[in-house]
Amino acid sequence: MSKLILTVDDSASMRMLLKASLTAQGYRIESANDGEHGLERMHEVKPDLLITDINMPKMDGFELIEAVRAEGGFKGTPILVLSTEFSDEKKTRARNAGATGWITKPFEAEKLGAAIRRVCP
Amino acid sequence: MSDELDEIQAIFFEECTEGLTVAEEGLSAMQNGDTSADTIASVFRAVHSIKGGAGAFGHVALTHFAHSFENLLDAVRGGKIEPTLPLVKVMLIAFDTLSDHVSAATGQADVPEDADMIARLDGILVAGGLSDEDEGLAPAPSAQAPAPDAAKASEPSAEDADPFGFEPVTVDIAQLDGDKGGPADWLVRFVPGNGDLANAGEPLLVVREVETLGGEIIAVDLGDMPGLRDLDTESAYFGWTLRVPGTVEESAIRDCFDFVSPEAVVEITREEGAVAMAAAPELPDVRAQVDPAGDLDQMLSVVQSIAEVTAVASPSPGTDAPRDVGTKYPDKPSEAVSQTIRVDLAKLDMLLNLVGELVIRNSILSDRLSSADQQRVELPELARLTRQIQDNVMSLRAQPIRQAFSRVPRMLRDLGAETGKNINLETIGDTTEVDKGVIEKIGDPLTHMIRNAADHGIESAEERIAAGKSPDGTIRLSAEQKGARIFVRVKDDGRGINREKVFAKAVEKGIVPADAQLSNEEIDQLICAPGFSTADTISNISGRGVGMDVVRSNVEALGGRVEIASVPGEGTTFTMILPLTLAILDGMIVRLAGQRFVLPLAHVIETIQPEPGQVKRTTPNNEVIDMRGEYLPIKRATEIFGLNDDRPIEDSLVVIVESDTAGQVGLVVDTIDDRREVVIKSLDQNLHPIRGLGGATILGDGSIALILDIEALVASPTQTRFSPKGMAA
Repeated sequence: MSKLILTVDDSASMRMLLKASLTAQGYRIESANDGEHGLERMHEVKPDLLITDINMPKMDGFELIEAVRAEGGFKGTPILVLSTEFSDEKKTRARNAGATGWITKPFEAEKLGAAIRRVCP
Repeated sequence: MSDELDEIQAIFFEECTEGLTVAEEGLSAMQNGDTSADTIASVFRAVHSIKGGAGAFGHVALTHFAHSFENLLDAVRGGKIEPTLPLVKVMLIAFDTLSDHVSAATGQADVPEDADMIARLDGILVAGGLSDEDEGLAPAPSAQAPAPDAAKASEPSAEDADPFGFEPVTVDIAQLDGDKGGPADWLVRFVPGNGDLANAGEPLLVVREVETLGGEIIAVDLGDMPGLRDLDTESAYFGWTLRVPGTVEESAIRDCFDFVSPEAVVEITREEGAVAMAAAPELPDVRAQVDPAGDLDQMLSVVQSIAEVTAVASPSPGTDAPRDVGTKYPDKPSEAVSQTIRVDLAKLDMLLNLVGELVIRNSILSDRLSSADQQRVELPELARLTRQIQDNVMSLRAQPIRQAFSRVPRMLRDLGAETGKNINLETIGDTTEVDKGVIEKIGDPLTHMIRNAADHGIESAEERIAAGKSPDGTIRLSAEQKGARIFVRVKDDGRGINREKVFAKAVEKGIVPADAQLSNEEIDQLICAPGFSTADTISNISGRGVGMDVVRSNVEALGGRVEIASVPGEGTTFTMILPLTLAILDGMIVRLAGQRFVLPLAHVIETIQPEPGQVKRTTPNNEVIDMRGEYLPIKRATEIFGLNDDRPIEDSLVVIVESDTAGQVGLVVDTIDDRREVVIKSLDQNLHPIRGLGGATILGDGSIALILDIEALVASPTQTRFSPKGMAA
């Protein structure tokens, strides 16, 4: 079965865009609209990969990553950050929180696919 | 795909609108002194999201501008820059530019000139706040020390060391364009850091990716491998050296290492030359490492244990990756999070239309059944359910009127800049829910009313001070629901309507005869007469060739009306009275000169059959009815519509209706046929609007009946007199 990716982004258009371009590349997609929702969905769908935005209401991406990593069951799940941010400070923070990689928005579908394969074969 | 993209983009634009509303609310709150972290964060997030989406959809100018704005907001959010009042004002102007950019992205406007604003935002960021000069009248310039690194944070930091991975490597250009037979092969050395396994990273995948570029492993570095006792299964010990064809772009190789940790070693060099050759001797031969035969089994077990780690690190769907479900959030139902769903408005409209048809069919069915059958429980039950469906569909279309109000603050800022008047805005009841169709259609009338109030109503600061008022004008925008109607008011504290001037102008324009005797209220209404404009000089604000008459006709087209109340020296209130829904009406079916009309039941007080002598003629054109000692004016709709009606009043019925403007009035009708819920169908735009008619409907038997607009019908009879063309049929 194809890989299941959970995308977390508070923007509906971004979620749809991700879904459209990743479905086209053969992935199955589940979505959540903020960090809290994302954490719940992690438990429900147990994705092969988590792609999360950083700036979101309720629980931001950093908090989500930390929460996911704090759960024993997701230790081996790769997490990619997809954000318009690109500062080293933020990237370091994400890595320290437990992110596997960082992709800067806007993304090209092809490069996004390559980035995913880099962490999730 | 492109259709799908268009659809997603449409949603993005909706999000932009929502984001702009949030940002503006936040900035307004900041202007009023609320600089809490949550407020600042909400503005930041809104701008940030707009930027993110804009980038995804390729709106370069919007992205660029939002980027500068976002950087400044980020610095404010991080406490690097103090959100002083002057700074918030600058950000409000930046917000306006951002709105213009969004409009441009949607194709509704040209791309705004933003170079100055970007320079200003970037300048503030570099300086760590507004300069003293910019602070201008600021009571307390920010005492905050300038944050020198704020500027640095704003630039893409390509030159800085990237924590995700790689240090710059200098490549000798001479090697590139060197020689025979194309560029030399790349030598890529990769030694993962410990962090690369910790975050579910998989260095092996990076190696595989380099292999897809044509790379082949020429050496594996096991030099760091500790003895078995010290082996940490979550640490990385291997290093690889790969040879990649020289024709591959260096950036393509670099991309593979995008996610490796900062402590990882990534070296990419051309094979020729000292650097590449120097690296080679450092790589021990794998076989040399495992040479002693006794160690071989140990080594195998080490490799296996590492293989296990990597298997856990990247579970494939088939394997049993740890599935111990955390207990932290198990009992929260998943429905709780998806409380909203976006629906294309066209689908809602279609649903509404279908429900309307259902209502009509229901009444047709009811007509065809015998009265005994009509009493059976099924039919009333069906009618009740239909009504419930209808109410629900209507509520789906209800939106807070805030959406219509949202563009007012911007407009007032622009108007303030154009007129030099400082105008405060008070908003009351902006959560009042109204049909989306109404919200969309009141935008233009509202804009005009606000412009009118700002331009004609509010005086200049000098004039206000002379009149003993505060120099700043105030416009109060309010909405409230009363019964099935929504009242939207624009109240200014300006000079009020100059009735002498209005009357003189109306006479000059030939709207009323010079000898007309008009009450104050009637004079006020003249503002809404077609082609009326009081401004001596046509300003570019409200004198655009369309006047308040457009407001009136727009509002009337919605089945509403406009009221004007003015107190000289104290201000003017424009009130739009609108129906809550545009679709359904509880009506009384009456006959006028043999034709059927629908009279909205909401207005009906009682119905009487007049006794001889109960109706009296006071003047040749006016009749009254004696209602238990109280005299109420009588209107004959037949006269207003020009229908032939010779029926004596004693053979007619008088329906007493209550109106907002004229109080109780008796309306003469032939007979009352029925009471029915009707679905309002608007009259075609091509038809000349007839005062007194609000729309049409299809009755149970399939015939068409016109719907009476009671307010317009009973409103001042003088209207028809002073505006012969346009207002009366």
